[in-house]
Amino acid sequence: MDQTKEEDFGYDLFPERRKGKYKKGSIAESLFTFNHKCQVMLQFAMETSPYAKLLLSAMKSSGCKVWKDRHFSCEDCDGTVSGGFDAASSQIVLCQNNIHQQSHMNRVVTHELIHAFDHCRADVDWFNNFRHLACSEIRAANLSGDCSFSNEVSRFNFGLKQHHQECVRSRAIRSILAVRKINREEAEKIVDEVFEPCFNDHTPFGRIPHSKKDAKFAYRDYENRDRYYANL
Amino acid sequence: MLLSYCQILGVLVFYCERSKTRKWLCRRAQPPRVCDNYWSEFKHCKSLSNRFHHYYTYGTTPSCQQWKEDYYNCREWEKHKGTEAKEELQKSERNRVAEQSKFTPVWKLRQDPPRDWHLPLNQDKPQDS
Repeated sequence: MDQTKEEDFGYDLFPERRKGKYKKGSIAESLFTFNHKCQVMLQFAMETSPYAKLLLSAMKSSGCKVWKDRHFSCEDCDGTVSGGFDAASSQIVLCQNNIHQQSHMNRVVTHELIHAFDHCRADVDWFNNFRHLACSEIRAANLSGDCSFSNEVSRFNFGLKQHHQECVRSRAIRSILAVRKINREEAEKIVDEVFEPCFNDHTPFGRIPHSKKDAKFAYRDYENRDRYYANL
Repeated sequence: MLLSYCQILGVLVFYCERSKTRKWLCRRAQPPRVCDNYWSEFKHCKSLSNRFHHYYTYGTTPSCQQWKEDYYNCREWEKHKGTEAKEELQKSERNRVAEQSKFTPVWKLRQDPPRDWHLPLNQDKPQDS
């Protein structure tokens, strides 16, 4: 692993993590950015998406209750990145300049909540352990709907048999390369090493939620987990 | 120390646990899921969309028969308190749990949540990477 290049852990994609262009809550912020739209879509996602509701509930049970104003931040980001999880400040960053549809917001919120959930329930070394990072990226790509058939088709990635796994693998590699200064071969090797245990870790869903119906069933199972485990 | 036990009173089976206040709390033993949930899982499993998603993910068609058997065992347990039905259903559910936990995790699970999760944001400090 080449350690001589200076690592900035992907913070260059999120320039407002260091200093925002407009003061938070200012009129300039509401006039010149998509901040308000982002906040509205985020609220809607948290209230109506069964994926998000299950993750929020699971995080609360794990001792990490999520407060919208503390744990989410709508910011302008560089490039085409949609969001990120900042472990240093325990915040989910949503790229208000790159998320314009509710369905996209739902998916990004789910993806980042999976990272936050992993941060909450496990000793994840985000900055120094590439295997941990890869594992969380595999889980997020697998369980958030990032790799649904329709999303892949919209990216012109046409595939059918087991294509979901190929998509999860390639998106995990892509995510790692975006935030860490390593080469593609190393990223691929790390993802291959941890793929099996991480692809098959469906916590807290208990299944891969391919559709809203899957997510609703998963949420139902999660709500009834006490009865379930008491009667095994 | 015995933390739970099953108590049989007549035809009813109770499952008892010791609470944090050291009181014994007993509730009726019941199927792990509401019986209708098994049927809805079976129908969902057999649906065209689920079969498509399963093929898209695993390259095979899903096996749904177990959900149907679980539904009938669940009904049998509820209606006639059949021991065989109860054991079959519990065995099936324990297999499902085992399937979910058969891979060694990459990380260690925490005992407590991260200490800084609830701390307020320090807006003045620059974020260190």
